[in-house]
Amino acid sequence: MGGDLALDCRDVTVRFMSERRAVTALERVSLALEPGDFVTLLGPSGCGKSTLLRVIADIIAPTTGSVKVFGEAPSGARQRREIGFVFQDASLLPWRNVLDNVRLPLEVGGRRGSVPVSPEALLDMVGLAGWEKSYPHELSGGMRQRVAIARALLGGPRILLMDEPFGALDEITRDRLNEELLRIWRETGTTIVFVTHSIYEAAFLARKVLVLAPRPGRVRELVTVDLPEPRGLAVRETPEFVRLAAHLRRVLEGL
Amino acid sequence: MEEAEMDAAWQAAQRRRKLRGWLLPSAGAGALLFLWWAVVAYFHVRPFIAPSPEVVAITLYQKFGMLMDNLAPTAIEAIGGFIIGNLLGIGIATIFVHCRTMEQAFFPVAVFINSIPIVAKAPILVLMLGNGLAPKIAISAVICFFPTLVNMARGLEAVSPQAMELMHVLSGSRWEIFWKLRLPTSLPFLFSALKVATSTAVVGAIVGEWIGSQEGIGALIIQATYNFDSALLYAVVLCGSAFSVAFFMAVRLLERLVIRWEAPGG
Repeated sequence: MGGDLALDCRDVTVRFMSERRAVTALERVSLALEPGDFVTLLGPSGCGKSTLLRVIADIIAPTTGSVKVFGEAPSGARQRREIGFVFQDASLLPWRNVLDNVRLPLEVGGRRGSVPVSPEALLDMVGLAGWEKSYPHELSGGMRQRVAIARALLGGPRILLMDEPFGALDEITRDRLNEELLRIWRETGTTIVFVTHSIYEAAFLARKVLVLAPRPGRVRELVTVDLPEPRGLAVRETPEFVRLAAHLRRVLEGL
Repeated sequence: MEEAEMDAAWQAAQRRRKLRGWLLPSAGAGALLFLWWAVVAYFHVRPFIAPSPEVVAITLYQKFGMLMDNLAPTAIEAIGGFIIGNLLGIGIATIFVHCRTMEQAFFPVAVFINSIPIVAKAPILVLMLGNGLAPKIAISAVICFFPTLVNMARGLEAVSPQAMELMHVLSGSRWEIFWKLRLPTSLPFLFSALKVATSTAVVGAIVGEWIGSQEGIGALIIQATYNFDSALLYAVVLCGSAFSVAFFMAVRLLERLVIRWEAPGG
């Protein structure tokens, strides 16, 4: 299975019934990612980007089309813990301290074995060494998301799905976390699918930006990002970045 | 230097606030007690209509042993009913959350039983269970059961959708979702029901004793009323209330020990 794609979505369509009519959340969306890729899903609300993420995570079943995660069905990948998921709100359990929140994946789903990187080391990686015994209500929004990222990385997932994880944070915190996410991505080599509605975030983070259109959610264009790596925030001031952002905006608006 | 001064000022303000927290309610209670005493003394209210506070205090002191002997069975009934009723409420709420069919079949029945006034349920239970502690415990349990069932079921459902998705991504079993997610989420809801249940459990025990009992706070209330012994009546009521308050405080203490994760004020 060595030559498998990290992610292979083909003609994924999702329809569900709401009230009295059928809603098409996604229409024939295809996306192929190599292992180690970083793709951002960019689009306005209602374009189905979160739905696509949930299809990959086996939370929602596609109505038609196929999804393969490292060559197998999402349910298998989920059961083998190859998928890590970071939600928009950190979704920490308030009665557990930081360390126990990161350790949660070891206590459910019949997993009680060892993990490649210890929870303590992961907390260190996300910059929260020394906060192990704190409770979520004692942390800022940005710190909570760091905990959620450490939790998602426990067990060494091969693909990390992130649903607007920094959407609720202030811009300064978001910038810092964007830079750190790139560092974590380089350190872990995991494949990342990142949902956002910020053009700058989408362009700064990704190697590929999948631009989606709303109602029904469909692909406008898969834009390849040709910015140098590793990237720092300064890259956003380069003419290449500005051109890319302008291009993304045009694609978003369907021009 | 400035910081130390500010710190001292802040601490002084805290002390004043604390003192006010004690002083004002005590002053209020004292004023009402005085008013009571003054009304009884000024209008020469006869003792069988209302006793003056000092007579109540003397009765409380002189008959303390007898009062405590009667408080004991009431306390046992209330605590027993509290435990049984709440355990049933928690258990059935757990079943309801995991089995919609059961909920749809039996929740309306629970609502119906709850709508029967407690004074009407009490004789039925006395007929079924005889005259000992059992019917009083049962009445107390029935009265605790419903609010706990409703609150617990709500608490178990109060899990955020994202937390459920997280558990799904982690392939958590129903059992794990219950223990690691639903149960802790429900605890604040459960405790607010338990706190209400402390006083209703005592009410249940007392109402049970009214129907037929020779001892207990309820029996003593009936006796004192028939004998126009208002001082004893007031003393008994005070004992019952004191127990209710102590019971409530005990559950609140337990709540504070168990739920330590809520942000202050949140």
